Amino acid sequence: MNNGHTHVLLIEDNPGDADLVRLRLVEGESTVDVSCVDRLADGLAAMAKQPPSVVLLDLNLPDSRGADTFRKVLDQAPGVPVVILSGQDDEALAMKALHQGVQDYLVKGDITSTHLERVMRYAIERQALLRSLEMSRRQQLEFKNQFLSHVSHELRTPLTSIHQFVTILLDGLAGEINPEQRYHLQTVLNSVHQLRAMIGDLLEATRAESGKLRVEPRCITIADLIQQAISMMAATAKERRVGLEVGLDSRIPFVYADPDRVLQVLINLIDNGIKFTPPEGSVLVKACLVNADPNMVYISVADTGCGISPEARTLIFERLYQDPNSAHNNRSGLGLGLFIAKELVELQGGKIWVASEVGNGSTFSFTLPLYSLAKLLFPVVVYEGQLRDAMVLVKVELTPLASVSRSAWKEVCQQSLETLRRCVYLDKDLVLPVTGNVGFSETFFVAASTDLERAEIMMKRIREQLETRGGLKASGMLKVSASAVPLPGMEEGKTLEDRVQALADCISAMAMSFLGSKPPEVGTETQVQPS
Amino acid sequence: MTKPKILIVDDDPDLRRALKIRLRANHYDTVQASDGYSAISVALKENPNLIILDLGLPAGDGFVVLERLQNSDALSDIPVIVLTARDPQSSEQKTLQAGATAFFQKPADNNELLDVIRATLPNNWPGTALPS
Repeated sequence: MNNGHTHVLLIEDNPGDADLVRLRLVEGESTVDVSCVDRLADGLAAMAKQPPSVVLLDLNLPDSRGADTFRKVLDQAPGVPVVILSGQDDEALAMKALHQGVQDYLVKGDITSTHLERVMRYAIERQALLRSLEMSRRQQLEFKNQFLSHVSHELRTPLTSIHQFVTILLDGLAGEINPEQRYHLQTVLNSVHQLRAMIGDLLEATRAESGKLRVEPRCITIADLIQQAISMMAATAKERRVGLEVGLDSRIPFVYADPDRVLQVLINLIDNGIKFTPPEGSVLVKACLVNADPNMVYISVADTGCGISPEARTLIFERLYQDPNSAHNNRSGLGLGLFIAKELVELQGGKIWVASEVGNGSTFSFTLPLYSLAKLLFPVVVYEGQLRDAMVLVKVELTPLASVSRSAWKEVCQQSLETLRRCVYLDKDLVLPVTGNVGFSETFFVAASTDLERAEIMMKRIREQLETRGGLKASGMLKVSASAVPLPGMEEGKTLEDRVQALADCISAMAMSFLGSKPPEVGTETQVQPS
Repeated sequence: MTKPKILIVDDDPDLRRALKIRLRANHYDTVQASDGYSAISVALKENPNLIILDLGLPAGDGFVVLERLQNSDALSDIPVIVLTARDPQSSEQKTLQAGATAFFQKPADNNELLDVIRATLPNNWPGTALPS
């Protein structure tokens, strides 16, 4: 059929059925070769060795039954066409299989050689068509992404020129300007900022669509981030005479999220709130815990603006959506902000939604996971239902040289963290989430399931790897040390979960006390002498 | 008193002119180059204290310039700030690994750029004037 030769893999445990199918195959005129196995495991192994042109699959095999059988085959080789050999009584299952990617089915006892040949040929053709459709879809997506990223790059050059010369005029570097000229130039500068934000959004949305958005969760204080967002938006709110208020629940523990990305979401929601709220209205940002959902923090941004109609509410998180009935003509964005916000929140394990009533304001809410060291630690410290028998906390301190700029240092730290993650065993060591926002000197911790003696080997590897990668050698100093973590006892009535929690608490306390003994870091200009 | 000298490497003459105005107003001397090849020859001749470097350049792009600077005994100590229209997600790490001190995407905030220039220039520069 396909350029002459068709290789059929027949997975069938009933010798009678197998012989019958083989006979029908050979009766046909095509050049067909058949290999037959009677267990799914053997079938999967044969497929891995050499992908067949088509698989004829009985669903009830000694080592797998029903829907599981075709799912495993489809998982292993999504590109290979599969035809099911079904009994008289399980056509329903065969139909289900068709919906999930199986190409066709034959009812046993009802198979003629022409029928069999046609079914196989169609299955192969359809699968090839699907493959080429999928390929061209990917090519188009890739082309679109490249195009958008090219466009946003090209737009930046003239925009930079406008930005530079407007600020030169505004700063009086080309002579005094009068108040009216200043006012007009300020308007140009605001437009430049808007345009710059739009170009950024364009690129972010492209990334979101192709699954290339990056988030780097850390252990963060949500209250600090909200305060930061509020202070960044204060000027805009004041200018539009919209009040900006905060309500924070003081009990909120650490949150496990990417601070830059959370700030991005907050700024977006607050900016929208201000934009759609008339003067003398207000925007309220709140964070709280909800009893029904104890693992998440709930953050909301509520405005007293025009509200959103029910039809618009269902579409508002879609890409490029803008409410056509929006009372204000405030369409100063591309309609990408909420789409990006949704992608970012979901990437961090949360969800985002809106409640609103026309004329009565809107409340956008999103959730983020609370930080639980015990949850992260569990798969690492528990082996075969038991706590592992030794634990070490390795401390990796990076201190920048005085001459290094903040942005370069941030990048070095990020690189070092990635390198560090490659130095540990994923199944028994954990690089602890970094605490707080990126400071000037950075400390990483590794909880390692090993004893102090063997930890030396890991520490040596960490030193070697970090010093050869990521530009650390040129920009900072490295210190690696370790201490043993006392394991919690086996008191009566203590579950494994309790003991992991106790271990997590102990590790947290150790890490905190290490950090506490350090000089202040964020925003200080402490000079560090190279040793 | 001598002022710190900054080499501006960019193929866009408008941007070079704008940066020159901005940097002179902040008491820096500037010299310019418009492509990768002349970037190196101007650097050798003028011995600048800092280089502001675009990535997309004719005659040797920014990465080639970074590599040549790193491999030159005379130039390898000069700090380089990259100022480019390219996307930080794809370029920032690469430029820092290639030896740049900082990365800015165009259009960059003037004050942030000036802050980094100030922090990057060797300390105790005798002529460092107060920022305007």
